[in-house]
Amino acid sequence: MKRRQRLISVEIRTQQFIQRSLLSHLYQCVLKEERQPDRGNLLDIGNLDLFSRPTMRDRLSNLQEVSNSHVEQMEYAESTVSDTFSNIDLEMELPHEAVVFEDNSPALEDVFSQSQDIHREIQLIRVEIKRLREQNSRMMGVTTMSTIKRDSNAIGADIKARAEGVLARLRDMDGEAHKLEEEYGSNCAVTRIARTQYACLSNGFRDTMFDYNEAEMSHRENCKAQIQRQMEIVGREVTGEEVEEMIEKGQWNIFNDNIMAEGKTARSALSQIEKRHQELVDLETRINGIHEIFLDIALLVEEQGPMLNTIQTNVQKTDEGIQEALVKLNRAKRHDKNNPFKKMFCSCFPCVD
Amino acid sequence: ALFRCQKLCARTIQALQQQGSDRRERSQQTAVKMAPSGLKAVVGEKILNGVIKSVKKDGEWKVLIVDHMSMRILSSCCKMSDILAEGVTIVEDINKRREPISSLEAIYLISPVEKSVRALINDFKDAAFTYKAAHIFFTDTCPDGLFAEIGRSRVSKVVKTLKEINVAFLPYEAQVFSLDDPNSLYSFYSSKPNKDKDKIMENLAEQIATLCDTLKEYPAIRYRKGPEDNARLADEVYQRLTAHKADNPSMGEGADKARSQLLIVDRGFDPISPILHELTFQAMAYDLLDIKQDIYSYQTTGIGNSNDREVLLDEDDELWVQLRHMHIADVTKKVTELLRTFCESKRMCTDNANLKDLSQMLKKMPQYQKELSMYSTHLHLAEACMKKFKGSVDKLCEVEQDLAMGANAEGEPLKDAMKSIVPVLLNNEIGAYEKIRIILLYIFHKKKGIGEENLAKLIQHANIQADSNIITNLQNLGCNIIAGGRNAEQTLPERRERTESTYQLSRWAPIIKDVMENAIEDKLDRKQWPFISDPAPINTTQTAVSSARFGHWHKNKSPTEYRSGPRLIIFVIGGVSQSEMRSAYEVTRATDGKWEVLIGSSHILTPTSFLNDLKSLDQVPNPDS
Repeated sequence: MKRRQRLISVEIRTQQFIQRSLLSHLYQCVLKEERQPDRGNLLDIGNLDLFSRPTMRDRLSNLQEVSNSHVEQMEYAESTVSDTFSNIDLEMELPHEAVVFEDNSPALEDVFSQSQDIHREIQLIRVEIKRLREQNSRMMGVTTMSTIKRDSNAIGADIKARAEGVLARLRDMDGEAHKLEEEYGSNCAVTRIARTQYACLSNGFRDTMFDYNEAEMSHRENCKAQIQRQMEIVGREVTGEEVEEMIEKGQWNIFNDNIMAEGKTARSALSQIEKRHQELVDLETRINGIHEIFLDIALLVEEQGPMLNTIQTNVQKTDEGIQEALVKLNRAKRHDKNNPFKKMFCSCFPCVD
Repeated sequence: ALFRCQKLCARTIQALQQQGSDRRERSQQTAVKMAPSGLKAVVGEKILNGVIKSVKKDGEWKVLIVDHMSMRILSSCCKMSDILAEGVTIVEDINKRREPISSLEAIYLISPVEKSVRALINDFKDAAFTYKAAHIFFTDTCPDGLFAEIGRSRVSKVVKTLKEINVAFLPYEAQVFSLDDPNSLYSFYSSKPNKDKDKIMENLAEQIATLCDTLKEYPAIRYRKGPEDNARLADEVYQRLTAHKADNPSMGEGADKARSQLLIVDRGFDPISPILHELTFQAMAYDLLDIKQDIYSYQTTGIGNSNDREVLLDEDDELWVQLRHMHIADVTKKVTELLRTFCESKRMCTDNANLKDLSQMLKKMPQYQKELSMYSTHLHLAEACMKKFKGSVDKLCEVEQDLAMGANAEGEPLKDAMKSIVPVLLNNEIGAYEKIRIILLYIFHKKKGIGEENLAKLIQHANIQADSNIITNLQNLGCNIIAGGRNAEQTLPERRERTESTYQLSRWAPIIKDVMENAIEDKLDRKQWPFISDPAPINTTQTAVSSARFGHWHKNKSPTEYRSGPRLIIFVIGGVSQSEMRSAYEVTRATDGKWEVLIGSSHILTPTSFLNDLKSLDQVPNPDS
């Protein structure tokens, strides 16, 4: 009996030792791989400068020279010529488009601040996803997971809350964009700015959420793989499909078969598997919670269509029909007042303005 | 106990190895994704970094103003989301009336032509400036007259940046460039004398020089001996290139760069490739379906209601990049196979997934929507091509391939070509353009042209009198149509022996492919392809040097134009066909990445557009175009 116990303890110790050494070996391999690309970069730091300098000609100084030599002539000419110029402008421009655009800079400011906020929120979600990845990878190697598990769920819940917030904000932005469209017309710059910002932000948000899904999915695969390994240690070979079935049905009675015969090894393996199972169940609940949001995002982005991201379609959306826009004659009025003929008339006949 | 220990060790080692290899694969995949190469990446990076990022200020948004040419360049290599991330909030066309946004600064990315410069000056003409400040970027050298005008105007007061970026070409694909001038066939080959031809040639030369500048290449220039336009254009390019090199001495530096070559060739050199029915995905789709500006529109019926969907077929679509040069028979196989692996990996089990199932899956798993819609698009595209093919094109392909190769599928030389084409010409269901293509192939098959009465008889049989000038206009390109006529000495060149197995209906390889392979192996005849200037002596020892470090250490760098190997750049005057574009990729792959072949022209041809261009060669130009 004693001898058997000693043997078993030796077994466990050797097993742990082997695991540890193999793990460290693996870490070394991974680190080496990740370091290799850097080595390449270190080597070509000398040449980096040569190849990163873009081949462009800077001609700003030329322009300054040219403009300076013309400055005096220009200023002199402007004062005498401007009135006649403005007359000609008036005659030529009035027929087709004496248009002055409304000042919509407050609306623009709103759009920018809104998009800034949403952008910041999306960045925060990205940071959270990174944290979650780290948590998940830490969980794979450690046996006591109660604290880490709580954190994972907390991060997941946080991401969900933020995502809902961003979705609500995006819907607001969409509403604002519609309002701007009704107020200023669909070809106005503000409307187009709002639409473009909205499209790009929703695309970015979708990509972030898919990234989150990817993180959770890969963690799930890792858990599954670990369960498989643990099962092998116990002595039962299972395929991936069987593990899936077990997860879905929640049946774990496979382990109960040999529990008496295998002793400590099996029991530790069993506890590991139970923990993994719990982890997977939590994962599933997290993903289900976020599923609603995914559906909403999909709907959001699908409505816009994939073509919105091309610059060509964006530029071609403007059209020449500004005749429909509001015709305010501020500029024309100003020129009109400066009109020397009118000035002459005004002095003779006081005009009513 | 020891035995069980050993078994345990073995199992853990196996498991860990598996993990390690998975991780390695994943990191390799991400590495490949992070370092795209090719023209689009080079130009995209140049514009994004050199233009937009260089004037980026945190917290400030800018307006980007483009004219037609620069808009095409920008659109082909950047997306709205890219420029939005760098602080550009809206893109405007310089020639349209724009509303003033005086709180934002403007980036002008324009070509230095009078129309754009006038519009630029107009923006700042009055007391109230349209924008707060101007950052001006010209696509290539600004002529002195226009430069002085800018200096004289008010723009000079608010200009903060003025640079010439030397990118005046369109990166159409990773190895294909275009100069965006669809009228060039007319400019070069019209029956009426064209007085603007000199200016057009200078512009073309400048654009090609900016291509070499962007790629940091200083290639040896060769042209095909024959039409004098080739020699003139080559000369102009040489002058421009030398001027660029004076400004930028790092062009063409590098051990292998001395072997780079630039070939100038005319369209008449290979008139067969643009009119043949090709069966590779990209060429077939553009030939048989109506795809304008690379946008494919179709209707989806899966979800119950049918919507119209538009998809851009470009290199952002990874599946398109994989499929575009494959034969149509392989395409459907490959897409279904990829779809099945995708479904299995994401646990969406379907057997024989058809389009309806795909739409169901789309509803259930929105996170895979993007990828699933990609598969759906390509399945649609392939189906549409096959439908058109089975209609009438399959009969034509057989005849065409026999005529083009001069032999049938078994290799026996064609005995009576007339017998095989007459049933096609008499068939009323076949369109006029298809009949013209058959007739042209017959004429080229005859090598010495055909007699005028024979031609007249063929035209009458086919009932295509209205379009018959297409055939005669080909003589403007230097092709031998009428026996004993204008181009009597012209013959199509000798072909290389090709031993690789091909599909029966895809035996033809474009003549330019032979030229590419010969140029790479340095077997291109110097008398037929003379150099403009004496090339650097080709050191045979250089080809042997390839240390492991030299080839690979830069692979994980961000996309730059750095490529240690030599490049072969081919410019075709008058348009390049899709099959020739495909040849560039095939030849590059065959050299295992040692050479990179780039091909381009003033525009990309489809058979229909080529025939339309030919039709108008003898007409007076439209003053509006």
